[in-house]
Amino acid sequence: MSVEVLKTKAEQGLADQFTAARSGLPGAGNAWAEGLRDAAWETYRSAGLPHRRIEEWKYTDLRALLRDAYPPAPALTEALTRDDISAALGPALAALDCHRLVVVNGQLRLELSDAGGLEGKGELLSLGDALGDPSDWLKQTLAQANPPRNDTVVALNTALMTGGAALRIADNVKLNKPVHIVHMLTSREAASVTTRNVVVVGAGAKVTLLESYVSHGTAPAQRNAVTELVAGDGSRVHHIKFQNENLETAHLTSWMTRLGADVTYDAFQFSLGARLARNQIFVAFAGEGSRSHVSGAVLARGRQHNDTTMVIDHGVPACESREFNKLVLDGSARGIVQCKAIVRKDAQKTDGHQMARALMLSEAAEFDSKPELEIFADDVVCGHGSTSGQVDEEHLFYLRARGIPEPQARALLIAAFIGEAIEKVENESIREAFLNFTGSWLAGEGA
Amino acid sequence: MAAVQETVEHVKEMEADKYKYGFETDIETVKAPKGLNEDIVRFISKKKDEPAWMLEWRLDAFQRWLTMDEPKWSRVHYPKIDFQDLYYYAAPKSAEGPKSLDEVDPELLETYKKLGIPLKEQEILAGVRKMDEPSQLDEAAGGEYGSGRVAIDAVFDSVSVVTTFKKELAKAGVIFCPMSEAVREYPELVQKYLGSVVPVSDNFYATLNSAVFSDGSFVYIPEGVRCPMELSTYFRINEKQTGQFERTLIIADKGSYVSYLEGCTAPMRDENQLHAAVVELIALDDAEIKYSTVQNWYPGDKNGVGGVYNFVTKRGDCRGKNSKISWTQVETGSAITWKYPSCILRGDNSVGEFYSIAISNGYQQVDSGTKMIHLGKNTTSRIISKGIAAGHSDNTYRGLVSAHRKATGARNFTACDSLLIGSQCGAHTIPYIEAKNSSATFEHEATTSKISEDQLFYCQARGMNEEEAVALIVNGFVREVIQKLPMEFMAETQRLIGISLEGSVG
Repeated sequence: MSVEVLKTKAEQGLADQFTAARSGLPGAGNAWAEGLRDAAWETYRSAGLPHRRIEEWKYTDLRALLRDAYPPAPALTEALTRDDISAALGPALAALDCHRLVVVNGQLRLELSDAGGLEGKGELLSLGDALGDPSDWLKQTLAQANPPRNDTVVALNTALMTGGAALRIADNVKLNKPVHIVHMLTSREAASVTTRNVVVVGAGAKVTLLESYVSHGTAPAQRNAVTELVAGDGSRVHHIKFQNENLETAHLTSWMTRLGADVTYDAFQFSLGARLARNQIFVAFAGEGSRSHVSGAVLARGRQHNDTTMVIDHGVPACESREFNKLVLDGSARGIVQCKAIVRKDAQKTDGHQMARALMLSEAAEFDSKPELEIFADDVVCGHGSTSGQVDEEHLFYLRARGIPEPQARALLIAAFIGEAIEKVENESIREAFLNFTGSWLAGEGA
Repeated sequence: MAAVQETVEHVKEMEADKYKYGFETDIETVKAPKGLNEDIVRFISKKKDEPAWMLEWRLDAFQRWLTMDEPKWSRVHYPKIDFQDLYYYAAPKSAEGPKSLDEVDPELLETYKKLGIPLKEQEILAGVRKMDEPSQLDEAAGGEYGSGRVAIDAVFDSVSVVTTFKKELAKAGVIFCPMSEAVREYPELVQKYLGSVVPVSDNFYATLNSAVFSDGSFVYIPEGVRCPMELSTYFRINEKQTGQFERTLIIADKGSYVSYLEGCTAPMRDENQLHAAVVELIALDDAEIKYSTVQNWYPGDKNGVGGVYNFVTKRGDCRGKNSKISWTQVETGSAITWKYPSCILRGDNSVGEFYSIAISNGYQQVDSGTKMIHLGKNTTSRIISKGIAAGHSDNTYRGLVSAHRKATGARNFTACDSLLIGSQCGAHTIPYIEAKNSSATFEHEATTSKISEDQLFYCQARGMNEEEAVALIVNGFVREVIQKLPMEFMAETQRLIGISLEGSVG
């Protein structure tokens, strides 16, 4: 039976990796960590990589898209300098005034980070180290925050994770500067990396968390990254992702978030890079009166494949959710937005809305959208919308009639289109950086 | 207001189980033995006096069916169906080819009377019964019935028992007859089009239907003809443990127009009855087909026992340029509904429309929607779906809108709204939107909400009780779709909505 399940070369390669690495993975010897890994491994082993017959992966068939399983990137590499990191981030984000945590090839590297300002604000651990001797809060959070059922990509992450940041912000701490977790992969050969961040935000605390995913070099890569986040009652969290990995990268990320009562959770994901990107976002409401706004902007061209899949789970009454995604698709790029809002029986007074809009610049671009509502409570207001189309010829005409040449007019309209999403980013420096990236993308640079 | 009062009165008349069509007609029937095997397929084919090619077609379908599994992806739950524990053929004895209405069993006509559907069907059928020489009806009909005339094909269990207005339709060149007759009389048309929209192995139930379909309606509208009257089929499952597998094929030749209505009921029973129909529509250049359904199969009692399993494959093919296919459906019955009337927009500038009201109450489960597949240039489609869930029911809209690479200028507008009544029901929306062409413009919007307290209060402050108020508001909610129904169905539908929601308030 199990022999048949793992059919492809990549699936078998991952199995071999786990067998070979199991005893050397962080946390080996610790019963709790080993138990987590083995249970997760069983989930993967019984299902294999997700394929198009799995409803949630209908548009992103990993069995077909992942040919090989690349070997794990070596933990210790040749010297990577701060300049390399700045170059990979680009000047605007490199200059960001922040608490910077740098994760290279799956390990938190404090010597490259600027985490001094976090002292006394909570606790920062290297997950790889912490797995061997886990604290209570880590045990309560890891693989517990809002685990999706039977998601084999998340299961693979739990089985193979090598490290990342484990960060706890103490109650009522308000961080003025964003925490910036920079994920870098550096390797000359094709390599894979499996990272995990665990973030616990205390009650009444306030934090802006930016995660950047960038490449050093052009070697093919496979990334499986998970961030688990638990937001305590009354906290305020801005959670932002910037993804600009090289075009040989398969980028799989999953955010699993659980919100307490009266939380304000504003999330934003900006995707430019990667050949294949799957952005999974799972948000669960566990306390009343919270709101979650998840937005995203995707710029894709060439043969890029970008899939954003969200599950927003209203398990308690009186919460508000908004999902707003915009995509610009050029070349033969394929954009996908799947968003499922679940309103459970007791979640009365739920207010949920989602919208996905795609702008298609070329004949061969493709947009697939599945805005899903699953509602079991009657006193709710839910809605969703999805649109796709080209640049409006009338708008174009309007601008040209005012003397703006067509290419500029077109760029202006596209920038305005995507700008509506980027404006959701509250932090001004980050927002400006994203607008800059959009400008260069439109000028044909970048990804 | 009139509609509301009617609804209330109607509800009062009803018995505990609220399903007025739950009577059983005691008519002798001819049944094939229980179960399904090659012999049963041969038996059905023989009963129908079919040519060899038809039998071959059925047997081929049966062989394929054996290799298939039931679809599991829909949001409906029911105990596994034992396909060997069903009768695949049941025919009223008297129905073996009635030459004239004289031969129709009076019991049967009594049945139509009891059905009391205020469709023209009932009226005309009752009239037919009183006439001494019903065959005159065809000739005499001309002036008498005016523009509201409807030609009916009534399908009882598995067999078409009576078709009216045949002669007058023939004058216009329209063929409207039972499928079994079409197989014998118009083999070249049937062979050309049957299975060309829903292929034999399209899905589990369509394949089963291909193997064992017993009857249904066949319609052919010749080039340039506007069908002089509404065509209608009335389906009823009567016999115990039977499956009804009818097959409808409508072909609108170049420049023609036809409006077709379909109504369904079944008696109350504890066990579940199976209905697995296939409907194929073909619209050639500049042709238009309007297909309306009022589905009111027995939904099961208030504890969710019994009821019809309705697994239907309906698909229209806009094969010619400038053609149009429009589906309108009112789904209030069935314990389980699994149906997705679809349009393949193959011809350039073709138009597909889908208007739906799906109401579920009690323990009903509805998984319904549509597919709009844009293949031709400048094709447009429009989807308006109104789902209403009450009681313990689950109501799912599942739809696909796709534009293929060459479908430049495709346009779709979708609005699917759900209304929830009561805290035990579920309403779900699962749309798939796939644009493979950049010039495709797709717009989709959906809302889910409950009846607002303000609206209820407003109505109640004006002297309505809660139930009347709900019926009024719901009728307002679905108005957009009701307006698309043929006149004959409008009043009936409004009443049906009131009945379906009875008991959902308070």
